[in-house]
Amino acid sequence: MIWKTAWKNVWRNKVRSLVVIISITIGIFGGVFAVAVMNGAIEQRVDASLNEEIAHIHINDPGFRDNYDIQLTVEDPDRVLTMVRETPGVEAATPRMILTGMANTATKSAGVQILGIDPLSEKEVLQLYETTIPGTGGFFEQESRYNLAYIGHELAKELNIIRFRIDQAMLDSLAVRGVPDEVLDKLVPFSGKRFKSEKSFKKEVKGVLSMKEQHDYGMAIREEAWSFRKRSKMTLTFLDSEQMQTGAVFRIAGIYDIKNSMYEMSQVLVKKDDLAILAGLDNTAFHQLFIRLEDLETTEEIHSILAEKLPGLEVMHWQEIQPDLAMMTGMVQRFYAVFMVIILAALAFGIVNTMLMVVLERTKELGMLTAIGMNKKKVFNMIMLESVFLSLVGGVAGMIISQLLIGATSKNGINFASYAEGMEAMGYAAHIYPVISTSFFIIVAILIVITGILSSIYPAVKALKLDPAEALRTE
Amino acid sequence: MKVLEIKNVHKIYNSSEVKVHAVNDISLEFEKGEFAAIVGPSGSGKTTLLNMIGGLDKPTEGEILVDNTNLAGLKSSSLIDFRMRNIGFVFQSYNLIPVLTAKENVEFIMSLQKWNKKEKDKRTFELLKAVGLEDRVNSRPTKLSGGQQQRVAVARALASKPKFVLADEPTANLDSKSTETLLDIMEQLNREEGITFIFSTHDARVVKKARRVITVEDGKVISDENKN
Amino acid sequence: MNNLKLAWRNLWRNRRRTLITSASIFFAVFFALVMRSLQLGSYDHMYRNVIESYSGYMQVQHKDFWDEKIVDNSFAFDPVLEQQLLGDENIVATIPRFESFALASNGPKTKGVLVMGVDPVKENHLSDVLNKKVRYRLTSEAIEKIERDDRIPDKVKTLLPLFENSAYTNTGRLQLDLDIQDKEAPVLMPVIEEYCYFENGSIRMGEPGVWVGDKLSQYLELGIGDTIVLIGQGYHATTAAGKYEIKGIVKLPLPDLDNKIVYLPLDICQGLYNADNRLTSLSLAVDDNQDKAIGETMERISSMIPENQRVMEWKEMNEVTVSQMEADNKGGMIMLGILYLVIAFGVFGTVLMLTAERKREFGMVVAIGMQKRKLASIMTLEMMLVGLLGILAGALVATVIILYGLDHPLVFKGEMAKMFEDYGFEPKLAFWKIDTYYIWQLVIVGLMVLIALGYPLRKIFGMKVVNALRV
Repeated sequence: MIWKTAWKNVWRNKVRSLVVIISITIGIFGGVFAVAVMNGAIEQRVDASLNEEIAHIHINDPGFRDNYDIQLTVEDPDRVLTMVRETPGVEAATPRMILTGMANTATKSAGVQILGIDPLSEKEVLQLYETTIPGTGGFFEQESRYNLAYIGHELAKELNIIRFRIDQAMLDSLAVRGVPDEVLDKLVPFSGKRFKSEKSFKKEVKGVLSMKEQHDYGMAIREEAWSFRKRSKMTLTFLDSEQMQTGAVFRIAGIYDIKNSMYEMSQVLVKKDDLAILAGLDNTAFHQLFIRLEDLETTEEIHSILAEKLPGLEVMHWQEIQPDLAMMTGMVQRFYAVFMVIILAALAFGIVNTMLMVVLERTKELGMLTAIGMNKKKVFNMIMLESVFLSLVGGVAGMIISQLLIGATSKNGINFASYAEGMEAMGYAAHIYPVISTSFFIIVAILIVITGILSSIYPAVKALKLDPAEALRTE
Repeated sequence: MKVLEIKNVHKIYNSSEVKVHAVNDISLEFEKGEFAAIVGPSGSGKTTLLNMIGGLDKPTEGEILVDNTNLAGLKSSSLIDFRMRNIGFVFQSYNLIPVLTAKENVEFIMSLQKWNKKEKDKRTFELLKAVGLEDRVNSRPTKLSGGQQQRVAVARALASKPKFVLADEPTANLDSKSTETLLDIMEQLNREEGITFIFSTHDARVVKKARRVITVEDGKVISDENKN
Repeated sequence: MNNLKLAWRNLWRNRRRTLITSASIFFAVFFALVMRSLQLGSYDHMYRNVIESYSGYMQVQHKDFWDEKIVDNSFAFDPVLEQQLLGDENIVATIPRFESFALASNGPKTKGVLVMGVDPVKENHLSDVLNKKVRYRLTSEAIEKIERDDRIPDKVKTLLPLFENSAYTNTGRLQLDLDIQDKEAPVLMPVIEEYCYFENGSIRMGEPGVWVGDKLSQYLELGIGDTIVLIGQGYHATTAAGKYEIKGIVKLPLPDLDNKIVYLPLDICQGLYNADNRLTSLSLAVDDNQDKAIGETMERISSMIPENQRVMEWKEMNEVTVSQMEADNKGGMIMLGILYLVIAFGVFGTVLMLTAERKREFGMVVAIGMQKRKLASIMTLEMMLVGLLGILAGALVATVIILYGLDHPLVFKGEMAKMFEDYGFEPKLAFWKIDTYYIWQLVIVGLMVLIALGYPLRKIFGMKVVNALRV
């Protein structure tokens, strides 16, 4: 009975109730959506990291990670590999040989980490191969008598393996794409030019185009100016197992693009067999074993199992390998919980004010109810319920709207293009797909109810203090 | 001296379903010093008539002249100004500004007209004395009884020496003692100062005290008696 | 009866409502101010970290250097130009540098390093290098000695293994890591400092010798007195090769730099790269570092330097950091926007209720002769007063906290600290002084009040007195 009455009471003064409800809707929607965006960004980062870069579990010699000493390969590699692959819960494992060295082209050089991998098993563990830029090669499939290398987009640009050039062919392609002649004319003076770096390319082209032209055609120009010469080569030099400097020429057979500039700049993948020969290592040897699990949730469990089976080796799971990833998720969740609480507190002010008004307005009515026998507890509950209903209506509306928006944007993502540079350097994609867990929704719903309850306490207490006789006398 | 002329006034409401002829061709004249009551049942049109007299509503047809000025010719802010100077109001309830004291309520109109402090204080005290509330000068309405509030309202209505005072059911919310007191004061002000009072009322006691009784029914004046 | 007096009294008709509404504004303003202060403080702190450890506010470079940071893109040092630059009103000092890449090795261990040829004296105008010299190190021997000393409490001893081999440039951080309270410090710190004292050395112009970053020294397993080998690409395709004694160890706040930095005296470095008298950058230390001043200084400098050189300012040199900060900044503003929006609705709701309640009264005062204009101004004043109440309260409390925080920034410990450092930032939350962002809050609340006012004002001006007076 009280429930029905409370519900009806909410709608007595439609305008007033609507104002409060809308404020709650906006607050909840804003908060939830903001969390979804943050969450999406982090989940993407974590997924990308796990699926493209670090997998789930690493196994290596205990001293290896201190200095990446080439001598510290894993003992008894075949046994370890087989044993790991046979462990239930392990989906796949791939061995890696890791060396530090320099990559050189005619014009540039850079310090890199050289990863000798086994293409077949690598594909089962990491999906880096899916990020290959089309047309740059088939590193994972190709057989060749040359040494092949698979490098990151940023590194390719740095080493001038990727160049930006403007020439007639490129201008023609742009014309085909619908770029107007005035714009093309502005680019003509650059004909035949190979730019020294992506930065100088961007700078000089931006220099001749208006803001609008940059916005409309910038992407297309950049895409067409991008050029990759097949069979580009670079030299990799490093110290072999005898501490002698050695190296070889490698052909670029693929460029990957994972939106993580730091990773792309430093990680160069080559075939383990090729590297083994150059480094003077046995071709079954490896420094690290990367493991992919069937179910991410089982990480800690399987980690303990492997650690037990391999007492002489260091076994680490991804939270230990990249603690900042794990921390990020936790920290952001906590931060946004605080944000939601602040929003709810802000909303509470409005609810309290409204409920106070409600109580004051209904002095006579409440007096009458008490006089005819409704006990104090029931009066209190009625007021409280009204407040909770008010909050819930707004809260549910807010959650529905945010869910709709999240659903709409999760397919195509939100483009934060102008902040792309900063975000990609930190490893976050500039295209974010908002996502939110059901548990978060539930928590928000509970918080809303609590807010409604707490906000109603003061007004309800006031209602109880009303003396029925006095109330009935009010003119 | 005619303070108020009502000439062939009609008020027609066009609601969606039906046309209501609230005031149907009423003509009346009032001289200075009258103590008149307009009576009639609810829906008779007397409230509508009073609103038009007070310039709060416009007649659909006909003219209302206050002190020879046609109210219809006044634009909204001039109308408000005109009311302030020439017409005093005493409502049934909610007459006073709750956050102001009795003194401040009475001075209100004078402040709007920017009287100087000395003059203001003098007149305020005079008026409050005239209504018997010189000792409640600094009380707020919440601290005054219903009757006292109405007396302050009367004092306030008189502050700017209006041409007449319109009182719409001033005694409706009062007990008999307060009604007695209020009516006596108004009558005294009428006799001694010559202030014109026009009431709209149901209250028999008011009718008894009034010297002219105008009966309105269905939007028409059905009788207009001058007692003596 | 003046409008202000009436407005003020009207506020207190319903004391609770007025207080709650002001309180909600107070809430929003308080949070906004504290949050903005923290944000601005953090950005400033992060920018400063970067600027002061590395790029400086402005640099003169060869025009191609930034795009291709090779030795060949260095420029010849011109003393005449230097004098001109020093003559500029905003330039306090010029700091010459020669930077390049090299491979550093110690026997079999190699690492790519950043070689910075600096003038140790001048460099202090920019990166405060002298203060980054390591003064204390918790070596295993030091730890052993501390553990054997009874004067040190157990709680400190348990923390020791966590920080084994950590280097410290000042006692503050050491004290913090070992969780020693300020009151215990005067007794405990001198003891610990003695055990951890690290004998460090200097580099001087003209004398071969290097400083290396702490993390780098640990990786290469080199200490003071050891020799480090540097190999790189010299000017005009010559080979750069040299062996140097390590004179000192520094610890830079950015771990990313700390694990690869090698400081050489400028002339020695130039010699190493066969680039005598050439510089890769001439950093400029400024007096006024506000954006406006920097912009103006840049303009003046641009006209002084020759065709083949350019001047860059710190925002260009740190684009990544700047855009990260910008993104974070916008994010923060959006959150505040949501908060304010919520409060605005609350205020609107209050105004709605208030207007409905006073409908009769509005009718009455206009009937007896108050102009609608006047009524409107009183209403406006009322709302502004409520807003002002909230703003003043919020600003007061926020200011107290901010002023306190300015002198006592929140320092992170443990895991959080590590995470900050891994990203290249000092682990503390700094506040920003009272500044224009205060005014913004005033503006926003003002806007809020104005918009909310729209409703009652419309009601007042659109009011038909007759209807308002109806029971």
